[in-house]
Amino acid sequence: MEFKLEAHRIVSISLGKIYNSRVQRGGIKLHKNLLVSLVLRSARQVYLSDPCPGLYLAGPPGTPPQLPGELVAGPPAGWGEPPPPPAPAAWPESEPEQEHRAVLDTPRAGDLEPEATLTGARNTLQSTEAAAEEAGDSAGDSAGGLDIFPEGPRAARHYCGCLPGGGEKQGVLGAPLHGDGRCAEDKPPAPPPVCPRKRSAAGMGGCGPAGCPGSTPLKKPRWDLEEQPGRMEEEEEEMETGNVANLISIFGSSFSGLLRKSPGGGPEEAEGEGSNPEASEPGQICCDKPVLRDMNPWSTAIVAF
Amino acid sequence: MKCFSRYLPYIFRPPNTILSSSCHTEADIISTVEFNHTGELLATGDKGGRVVIFQREQESKNQVHRRGEYNVYSTFQSHEPEFDYLKSLEIEEKINKIRWLPQQNAAYFLLSTNDKTVKLWKVSERDKRPEGYNLKDEEGRLRDPATITTLRVPVLRPMDLMVEATPRRVFANAHTYHINSISVNSDYETYMSADDLRINLWNFEITNQSFNIVDIKPANMEELTEVITAAEFHPHHCNTFVYSSSKGTIRLCDMRASALCDRHTKFFEEPEDPSNRSFFSEIISSISDVKFSHSGRYIMTRDYLTVKVWDLNMESRPIETYQVHDYLRSKLCSLYENDCIFDKFECVWNGSDSVIMTGSYNNFFRMFDRNTKRDVTLEASRENSKPRAILKPRKVCVGGKRRKDEISVDSLDFSKKILHTAWHPSENIIAVAATNNLYIFQDKVN
Repeated sequence: MEFKLEAHRIVSISLGKIYNSRVQRGGIKLHKNLLVSLVLRSARQVYLSDPCPGLYLAGPPGTPPQLPGELVAGPPAGWGEPPPPPAPAAWPESEPEQEHRAVLDTPRAGDLEPEATLTGARNTLQSTEAAAEEAGDSAGDSAGGLDIFPEGPRAARHYCGCLPGGGEKQGVLGAPLHGDGRCAEDKPPAPPPVCPRKRSAAGMGGCGPAGCPGSTPLKKPRWDLEEQPGRMEEEEEEMETGNVANLISIFGSSFSGLLRKSPGGGPEEAEGEGSNPEASEPGQICCDKPVLRDMNPWSTAIVAF
Repeated sequence: MKCFSRYLPYIFRPPNTILSSSCHTEADIISTVEFNHTGELLATGDKGGRVVIFQREQESKNQVHRRGEYNVYSTFQSHEPEFDYLKSLEIEEKINKIRWLPQQNAAYFLLSTNDKTVKLWKVSERDKRPEGYNLKDEEGRLRDPATITTLRVPVLRPMDLMVEATPRRVFANAHTYHINSISVNSDYETYMSADDLRINLWNFEITNQSFNIVDIKPANMEELTEVITAAEFHPHHCNTFVYSSSKGTIRLCDMRASALCDRHTKFFEEPEDPSNRSFFSEIISSISDVKFSHSGRYIMTRDYLTVKVWDLNMESRPIETYQVHDYLRSKLCSLYENDCIFDKFECVWNGSDSVIMTGSYNNFFRMFDRNTKRDVTLEASRENSKPRAILKPRKVCVGGKRRKDEISVDSLDFSKKILHTAWHPSENIIAVAATNNLYIFQDKVN
């Protein structure tokens, strides 16, 4: 239990660091963010593997990995079920399958944060590097801007919580170490699967895949990413929004003030981690580009972050 | 070695700073310190992009008891803050590293770098001024040619010594990530610059192109597991260099093997001690500095808690490991919270490779004698550093009863950190940068 609390605390601190790194002078430091993401991963592993009845929502260990779409309709009986067999120590060499299942089988857990944050961290790094690669890379990466775009929708799909497992060797960011960064359960673009994390952002309680109001706004940036395939100008913006949408899902309702249709809407009561002064200024735009005016208010608000 | 406890302190501050260390601007924080190859000059760079060069006074026969002091020789603004409009990023002007070139004529040359751009500066003296131009008058105004009736030959007349620094080369636009190291090759024609993922090789004469010799950027950035943290050329073999990584490994590469040195020639890694595993194991194993010994036989690496000496002939483990401040091991979580765990300490060899030095917190710095295995902790502070005073060894009390002169771990001031130190190439003179103050200590000579 102590490990779990400690791990949770470390996860929170790490999130804060990643968030702050976006606004610090001199740009995002790759080395520091890499180290922070390593700590995040370690803390997350401990957090997920430390047995703690009541907090875990994993099904029985024999449950095959379920797709997020299926989990939407999953029975609420997932609540309060016993966790998978306890991992031996603070540093279990947990089977990738088990971890994978544990991740996917916690649809409504309040502690989706560790998994979300990992993806968020990964995407922070991704967008960092995508941004860093833009035009400044004279080492001659030929793909240049085109490289970034394929990562965009891929990043978006990853953000739906599909963490690859199944015994594959993982990089620090949890991606399998092969060329294709897609997760195993990736789905075709339409219709996008409703991810458990979105629903946690909208609030607890089962929403059906179709009309959950909270999940809709978070879907929009992802659709934007996919609807504008070829526009070079959009690419940098897309990476930003995809990444920021992750952070929003991480911080949950403290961002909910931005998630209203009207750009002038004030913030809802900020709760949970990650509340910050910027949440009260939904109209603030950090980069004034013509493309912003064309984007819907959702993306505008999100880009403000 | 007897000099540990017998240092005379001379305290120098950057000329622009007249404030005490309790109130200083961030721009005055010293970010790099480097002696030149003879030890006559000492360069410091700060967060504000300035370089201050100190020169040692010539010893005079009249004051034999007073060894040459270091006085300010030149100050110039090396880098300015820049803005990358494309990425909406500000590029810090902080000087990350300074490296001197060996002196080949009357002028001095050094390389200074910030996160993105390396510059070659020429520092030269001017003590004569031409006078007697025909076409200009003494103030420099052009004269009307019609008024010139006679011609004269301009002559050089002595003037007050002026030291001027001019940027001779600017090596820009070659690094996507933040430059962490530069190193001059022993051929004196090339140098390398290393960022988080790539190392480039430059020729001093050519600024518009560089060779990429190491590239560890993965095709898919999600697979990134380590970054380059420091790199250095071998002191004698111009084909050999090493680079350290955030995973605690060192790779030695031979440029004769291939143009792109992604495959290392040697790989130095110590197996991890599983009993020390924690959330922060990866962070504290990240190497913050790597330095070849003067002999070229050994490399020294600094990670968060230790300094290690490696023999180039043995890759499996270091030959020596020195604990710098192991009492911090139980405090890693707090140090993670306040970001101190990310501090990048440097390490230096003395001229004979018998003593190594590195910094710590509370303005402490540590020296380890490799032969006698003795070590000492000293403090760089004004209170302890009156002229002619002898530095007293300090001790950190780990637990139990604290003796009178000891300081407990919880009393350490983590905002006072010594990240940058330098050792004179041949004498026992050390330069220690404590935030915005530069301390220069000399061995007392009998």
